Amino acid sequence: MCSLALVPADYTQMKINQMENKTMEGLQIVVCGTLVPDPLQTLEPVTTPTGPGLKNETMLPSVLDPWAAHSLYEAANLAKKVPGSKVYLVSLGPKAKLQQLMMTVAQKVPFELVAIDGTAGGFTDAMEVAKTLATAIEAIPGLDKTRLLVFGGCASASRDAGVTMQLIGEQLGITDQFVGVDEISMSDDGSFSVLERIEGGQYLASTCAGAPAVLAWATGSLPEPPNNPQVGMANMRFVMPALQKAQPAAVGVGGINFEKSEVPAQKRATRIVKDVSADVIAAEIVEWIKG
Amino acid sequence: MADILLVLHTGSDGSFSKGALESIATTVDLSSKLGGSFAVGVIGAGAGAAADTIAGCGAEKFYVVEDEAVAAPRYSSDVKAATALIQKAGAQIVLAPGSSRFARCMPGAAYRAGAQIDTHIVALAVEAGVLKAQRWYYRQRILTTLSRAARPWVLLIEGGIQPAWQGAAGVADAESVAVEFTDAELRTTIKGIESPATDAQTIRPDAALLFVAGAGWTKKQADGAYHIRDASNLIQGFLKKAGASLGSSKSLVDLQSDGQETLSFMSHMNQVGQTGTTPRHAKGLSTCCHGEEPHAVGWRFINERRAINMDANCGWAQGKADVVYIANAFEVIAKVNELLG
Amino acid sequence: MSTVERMKMEADIVCVGFGPATAGFLTTLTRALLKEDGSPAFESKVMPGMPLQIMCYERADDIGFGVSGVVTKGAFIKASFPDKDLTKEIPNAVAASDEKVAYLFDYLGVSQRDTGTKFVDAVFKGGRFFMGKCPEAAELPWIPPFLRKEGGIVMSIGSFISWVGAELMSSGLVQIWPGTPVSEPVFEGDKVVGVRLVDQGVDLQGNPDPATFMPGMDVHAPLVVVGDGPVGSVGRKLDDHFGLPEGNHQHDWAVGMKAVIELPESCTLKPGTVIHTLGYPEQEIFGFMYVYPDRTASLGIFVPSWFDSPVRTTYTYLQHWMQHPYIWRHIEGGRLRSWGAKSLQESGVRGEPYLTGDGYVRIGEGSGTTNVLTNSGVDEAWHSGVLLAEGVIDLLQRGETFTKANLDATYVRRRREDKLNADLQKAKRARDGFQDGFFKGMMGTGMTGMTNGAMNVSSQSRPPSQRIKTLLETFAGRISEEDLAAAVAQCAKDKQPLHDTLMVLAGWPEIKMDGELLMSHQDVLFKGGKVQAAGGFANHVTFAHPEICRTCKERTCIEICSAQAIMPGEEGEPPEFDREKCIHCGACVWSCSKALPKDPEKSNVLFGAGSGGLHSNEN
Ligand SMILES: Cc1cc2nc3c(=O)[nH]c(=O)nc-3n(C[C@H](O)[C@H](O)[C@H](O)COP(=O)(O)OP(=O)(O)OC[C@H]3O[C@@H](n4cnc5c(N)ncnc54)[C@H](O)[C@@H]3O)c2cc1C
Ligand SMILES: Cc1cc2nc3c(=O)[nH]c(=O)nc-3n(C[C@H](O)[C@H](O)[C@H](O)COP(=O)(O)OP(=O)(O)OC[C@H]3O[C@@H](n4cnc5c(N)ncnc54)[C@H](O)[C@@H]3O)c2cc1C
Ligand code: SF4
Ligand code: SF4
Repeated sequence: MCSLALVPADYTQMKINQMENKTMEGLQIVVCGTLVPDPLQTLEPVTTPTGPGLKNETMLPSVLDPWAAHSLYEAANLAKKVPGSKVYLVSLGPKAKLQQLMMTVAQKVPFELVAIDGTAGGFTDAMEVAKTLATAIEAIPGLDKTRLLVFGGCASASRDAGVTMQLIGEQLGITDQFVGVDEISMSDDGSFSVLERIEGGQYLASTCAGAPAVLAWATGSLPEPPNNPQVGMANMRFVMPALQKAQPAAVGVGGINFEKSEVPAQKRATRIVKDVSADVIAAEIVEWIKG
Repeated sequence: MADILLVLHTGSDGSFSKGALESIATTVDLSSKLGGSFAVGVIGAGAGAAADTIAGCGAEKFYVVEDEAVAAPRYSSDVKAATALIQKAGAQIVLAPGSSRFARCMPGAAYRAGAQIDTHIVALAVEAGVLKAQRWYYRQRILTTLSRAARPWVLLIEGGIQPAWQGAAGVADAESVAVEFTDAELRTTIKGIESPATDAQTIRPDAALLFVAGAGWTKKQADGAYHIRDASNLIQGFLKKAGASLGSSKSLVDLQSDGQETLSFMSHMNQVGQTGTTPRHAKGLSTCCHGEEPHAVGWRFINERRAINMDANCGWAQGKADVVYIANAFEVIAKVNELLG
Repeated sequence: MSTVERMKMEADIVCVGFGPATAGFLTTLTRALLKEDGSPAFESKVMPGMPLQIMCYERADDIGFGVSGVVTKGAFIKASFPDKDLTKEIPNAVAASDEKVAYLFDYLGVSQRDTGTKFVDAVFKGGRFFMGKCPEAAELPWIPPFLRKEGGIVMSIGSFISWVGAELMSSGLVQIWPGTPVSEPVFEGDKVVGVRLVDQGVDLQGNPDPATFMPGMDVHAPLVVVGDGPVGSVGRKLDDHFGLPEGNHQHDWAVGMKAVIELPESCTLKPGTVIHTLGYPEQEIFGFMYVYPDRTASLGIFVPSWFDSPVRTTYTYLQHWMQHPYIWRHIEGGRLRSWGAKSLQESGVRGEPYLTGDGYVRIGEGSGTTNVLTNSGVDEAWHSGVLLAEGVIDLLQRGETFTKANLDATYVRRRREDKLNADLQKAKRARDGFQDGFFKGMMGTGMTGMTNGAMNVSSQSRPPSQRIKTLLETFAGRISEEDLAAAVAQCAKDKQPLHDTLMVLAGWPEIKMDGELLMSHQDVLFKGGKVQAAGGFANHVTFAHPEICRTCKERTCIEICSAQAIMPGEEGEPPEFDREKCIHCGACVWSCSKALPKDPEKSNVLFGAGSGGLHSNEN
């Protein structure tokens, strides 16, 4: 058995000390990400007084938005490589659901939570969401833009607009932005190179002189980290206070008038071809491809 | 002043992509519905010459930004150029193709121009003089029709919703819009495009057919053995012969990252579905893939769908495909490849 | 594995599993943790100066995913929330109202029925005109009090547990960690000193992957609270270590499979309606349907261990049951939204293990709290947690340690003196009659129920593995020996379970999938998108003696599997397990038809702690 018997408080204190001693260098990586309904759930729109919403929205199990989650893992990985770095997770969502989500996310990688209590629904206007997030980022104590990397997903699984990160960057005055990122590599001088997904399965390769920058991630290259109870306990020291402090934010549909939202019926009359030889099937397929 | 501005960018060869030409058709269409005029702004290397190639599209005016700084796609310079165009043209409606370049910079340009923005637009309509846009939420799950009162309104148009514009070239007589770039805006250097080697290039957006490979290809087959190499040869043979684009289920590419022996020419970039892509092709053929909902939502824009699966109860058979062949894909594709010669 | 270096963490109390039992425990305990001025009432032993450190580890990927239940009298639960109206707090909860018990006729004439049941069929068919008209069924004119849920609540227990969990966590006094399976108790001799979490970053066989290996951490605590349900692996390992008290056994089980359905517009059932059915699709299979507000219903069936047929695919039976005219008329045109299954320990208090030991204590279904007479477990499990909390508070206040003697004097004493125990004792023998067939079983339950446990049908009890019939016995007179052999050979070749093929041969109609209510087994796993498992964990279902599987003819583990996670392997090889499909229902454990050579009480299926499974808290 390992002699290292960490009790949570000591561990956290150690972590805090480490961070405070090293705040002179290293990156501040702010990850923007919140909850979305588990992609495997059946989603149905309903009309609410404040615009469209999802049926049983409060009951749907949720997960950390997949692409934002990738960016969080990449952030933690980068922070590990650049000594003195710190990761923040800025989340706008209903407090109670955020709390539940944190119980799984907080076990993955170390971060400090900044929570904002509001809707995480997809029908909200990206501009309003971006404003709220940018304001929350600006308010992070000790924020130093010369060391700031803002991470997030290249699109959410809910709104799926792919604009929120750019709008946050604009509000923070950050003009180096990358979208659909799959890879970042940092040099010792603080410059970094990035691979962004573009059309046709290709990558755009760029280098940037250094922070500040916005990186909206695609899949990245890291697998989901295992659940580490110790990381969880350490994060919890920040998560609970952050949730208690979470300010309500009124984000809504903004200037969008939703005329209609529906799940189009798309059931096809499937013809099932059974007990037919591969030759016959192949011939039919070839005819179809060519036709 | 035109009512609509269409913003385009050139490709690295100075020409317009199919998506750009499609958005011209969309603009022409919308403009006639709104009964107004439109202008075109072009960003990128050779923008002026490119504008000439579409001189006959009916635009009342052409603007270009041809500065060296916008030769390659960089956020900071693109956003400034696009903002300048929007402000210069002064249009109420701004359309642009949803290319990776514009998907990246247009939100910032809209912000700077004090505009609203909506992306992934799949249809535009005018009802009682009101412009209505259609787009999906929750990744192809919920289709909405929306409008906005505020202007300017930037709309990024999805590819494939309209046939490409075709028409005469001519002299566009484009007005060059001057944009100054500061050093701070050139902190990012574009190194170039990394493309997979040509024979490994499996994603072909322009292909008529999407071929989807599922995890079944890498599973134990009826004889109790794995046939990864056969699968690899069959799939690559088919892609080459049919000129198809290759899609994948999540399970198949996930296996890949688990380090199991799998199909080396596939990556997460191929993944179709909820957490992958939603490609647009006229036809789609699914093989050894169950067709579960998170996968099938990625087929939203595939018109004709067929599947080969050994399981008559697979998802495709539940109204998700037009035809399902209950058969061994190894046998069928081998035969298909033979027939394709 | 003993050489692996493990991280160690210290807590004051560590709980295994967050079901109703642990929820009741923590709800009661946390209320005593703060003094009126908000300062901690008790100091941590492991971290002096800090408040008590209380951890709870839950296997499922989120709170509320691992539990089940719909209707409860809820007297104990309500008592824990005297100033709250739960029907207002929990989404979709409603007071139980209209209750019906229906005897379903075998309208297809295909089920396996013994003589007694045929007699009952005749009686009901003859008497149906006195009992109100309904298709192919007779509704009992009177519901015995022990079955009545009036005054109770219809709600998703998953939603309830999510709600309790959120309340608890926002108190900041406990941490509940989902997605964290506990592998086993950590023993020092007979003393339990903590728990060990499962290893991560391993392959399916449990071999470390050098790049990602994270050995399961040891969490040490003076008190380990085991509330891991009917088949939890920590409880099972405690039973392996200590055995069961003399005279107790865990021979009776059932798997409950359930779907949440959006009812069609045409459905007229009122929210709060509670329907129980018996008699179909097999005489041993019970069904239920509970109606929520908003045109939603939860419905399903129980396949019990005393249904001796080796072919027992719950999912197919569920589909046949749903199509019974009595049920179908309500749901036709509706849509299946969510689905799941879970085992029930049907031995009830007879299956009670040692409740305490030095450093550990057991609560909930795994401790024998399920009332097999009234078929309820949620309220009982909850209350066992409440009683434990009272005992623990007692010990904390007196500054005493968590020894077996102290836990016996506080928790066990309270449990024995409580109404909970009185009810469980009454129910104790309700299931005994099922050992000798369905008819006698029904008589037994009825008798026990009506006489408050004074009269029972007695029987000699056997573990399930010793009562499963052979295929030949099961289908005698319905499928010829040759046809049976041919079908078995074909299924083996196609690597398919036997169940559907044999049912069709025996006369059951094929199920016509419609993709809405009736869909393939694989599709239902994803309906409303549920079953998933993150990588990096070992298989949690394994076979103790693969050589036994090689010659096993019944392969009941495949047939019962709720999720097609156990499927035929190569011919002559043991079945294959796919952990990404498993929903941790535990039915394979008690359905295996072969006992271990050295221990006839145990089956050949080893069931460990695994991650993943259902992703729904509606169930
Ligand atoms: C959060 C989340 C997001 C997801 N997002 C996506 C997504 O974006 N895209 C996606 O694809 N999935 C996604 N999924 C996963 C999805 O639910 C399925 O697990 C996945 O699509 C299954 O892949 P498959 O059909 O290839 O594999 P399987 O389910 O293993 O199916 C293999 C199929 O192959 C067939 N087969 C085997 N051998 C043969 C043969 N010789 N001939 C013919 N047929 C054969 C079998 O009958 C079977 O139907 C997501 C899941 C989650 C939890
Ligand atoms: C289909 C069905 C319907 C039912 N309907 C009703 C009903 O209507 N009314 C009623 O009163 N009762 C009902 N029951 C019974 C009821 O569900 C149980 O009696 C009750 O849930 C028991 O509570 P528990 O806390 O003891 O255990 P559980 O609810 O089983 O909770 C145990 C928890 O421990 C977790 N766990 C298990 N192993 C581990 C491990 N190794 N590490 C970490 N966590 C672990 C599990 O995931 C689970 O969340 C039903 C049961 C089923 C199966
Ligand atoms: S686990 Fe049991 S039922 Fe299954 S094959 Fe092995 S011995 Fe037979
Ligand atoms: S393998 Fe999993 S799903 Fe199948 S019966 Fe066993 S526990 Fe249930």
